[in-house]
Amino acid sequence: MKKPVKYLITALILGFLVYNSVYIKDLDEVKKAQTDVTFNAKTYASEFFDTKIEMLSSLNASDFLNSLKTDVKGYSEAYGNKLGIGNDYYFIIDGKATVLDIDEEFVVVELHDDQQKIKIATDFIFGNAIREGAKMANIGDYQNTMDYNTISVELNNIVRETVVPPFIRKVKKGDQLYFKGAVKVNTKKSKIEQLTVIPLVLKIDK
Amino acid sequence: MSKCNTSLRIKNIILVFVALAIFGCANKKDNAPKKIAVVISTLNNPWFLVLGESAAERARELGYEATIFDSQNNTSKEAEHFENLIAAGYSAILFNPTDSEGSVSNVKRAKQAGVPTFCMDREINALEVATSQIISDSFSGCVALGEYFVRQLNKKGNYVELLGLVGDNNTWNRSKGFHSVVDHFPELKMVAQQSADFDRSKALEVLESILQSNPDIDAVFCGNDAMAMGAYQALVAAGKTDSVMVFGFDGTEDVMNAIYDKRIKATVMQSPKFMAKTAAELADQYIKGKRDFTAKTPISVEVVTQENINEFGAYGSKN
Repeated sequence: MKKPVKYLITALILGFLVYNSVYIKDLDEVKKAQTDVTFNAKTYASEFFDTKIEMLSSLNASDFLNSLKTDVKGYSEAYGNKLGIGNDYYFIIDGKATVLDIDEEFVVVELHDDQQKIKIATDFIFGNAIREGAKMANIGDYQNTMDYNTISVELNNIVRETVVPPFIRKVKKGDQLYFKGAVKVNTKKSKIEQLTVIPLVLKIDK
Repeated sequence: MSKCNTSLRIKNIILVFVALAIFGCANKKDNAPKKIAVVISTLNNPWFLVLGESAAERARELGYEATIFDSQNNTSKEAEHFENLIAAGYSAILFNPTDSEGSVSNVKRAKQAGVPTFCMDREINALEVATSQIISDSFSGCVALGEYFVRQLNKKGNYVELLGLVGDNNTWNRSKGFHSVVDHFPELKMVAQQSADFDRSKALEVLESILQSNPDIDAVFCGNDAMAMGAYQALVAAGKTDSVMVFGFDGTEDVMNAIYDKRIKATVMQSPKFMAKTAAELADQYIKGKRDFTAKTPISVEVVTQENINEFGAYGSKN
């Protein structure tokens, strides 16, 4: 075989091997892919909303408020969920109610059971009330606490984007509704009349 | 013959001394208190100084000999400390990591040597390596601070964010908590976001530089109190203390005083004393035989403002 042909074949083989041995990818894409494989909080939160909300056990809102008025610490310790060490407890409550007032940041409703009032948030949808109220995840399972906190961010985004807007478009004073939502109670500081529900379900009766 | 007897006697005497030395040492070792190491990321920051001293103090109260090691925010220095304290036979490590990723190998080494590590304030990105991690719930604290921030600025204005060390999870938990609130208000605009490494002098320099290109700001959110004090100094130099609000995180004495004097708007109180005490007590339980520990224990924090400052003392003590 002639030398130039030999060199050409060798170069082609080498080129083929090098081309198939080295892959160049965008670093951001790789990082994103790694994060997606590790944990996808958005998917986790969506699945929770799609499959768990209806069946999520809850306390009757009137019973909840009455029990807090009697013994906030004892009731919270018995029925609330807690994250680590602190005075914050989280609950899921539900009830049927009538809309009394519509504010820029919340609506005030009167519970049908005993005419107590409670606020349902429509603007400040923040914090860990849903994640902790539903006790849907355990912080000890997450290598990075940020992943655990991102669950709350994504849950709140779903409420802000899919639960609140259709409700706000329709709601008016005097409407009858069913709600289910998460509440945070601080056993040392919370004032019962200022408790605000982060809504998971808001259904206006037709 | 007599020479042989003499050497035998000398040998016996030596053997007796060796035996005495061995058994004497063994008894001495049994009676000596066990040792707990307190490894702190930096003692150059008063908050971490309180964390380290409180951990050592509680360990001593529990009957241990406690030594504080300063990693000077340097993972290599921290690795050296771990090597030395493992070789020196410490029974447990109360640990404030320098880097959530970089510190993992040090804790692994301690675990392999049978020395339990209890992380304080900062977490490491690994499960089942540290015996337990006692951390502040920085995210929730910054959600609450973010809500206060939004209301103080009436939902509009320009602001700067000074981040802490980029390798520390607390930096991102605080930033993410803050932005999980503030980013939903479109009239609040972040004009600059830069790291000042949790350091007061760097914060002063960084904000001075930012103010040159962005003189019209309404607020500065800082990832810790040391940076809040540095930012405040920069605002003093620029004559902007009346028009720019400063927000911090930690509850250090100087910032608590500054909130009281209405120089700084708010901070988030996390208690180094409580975290240190909890870590020392968990280490004591481990040494006494307990093995079932919660992987992570977040400790709740509270927003301190000019309105509620009288309810608090510095570093987590209550008035």
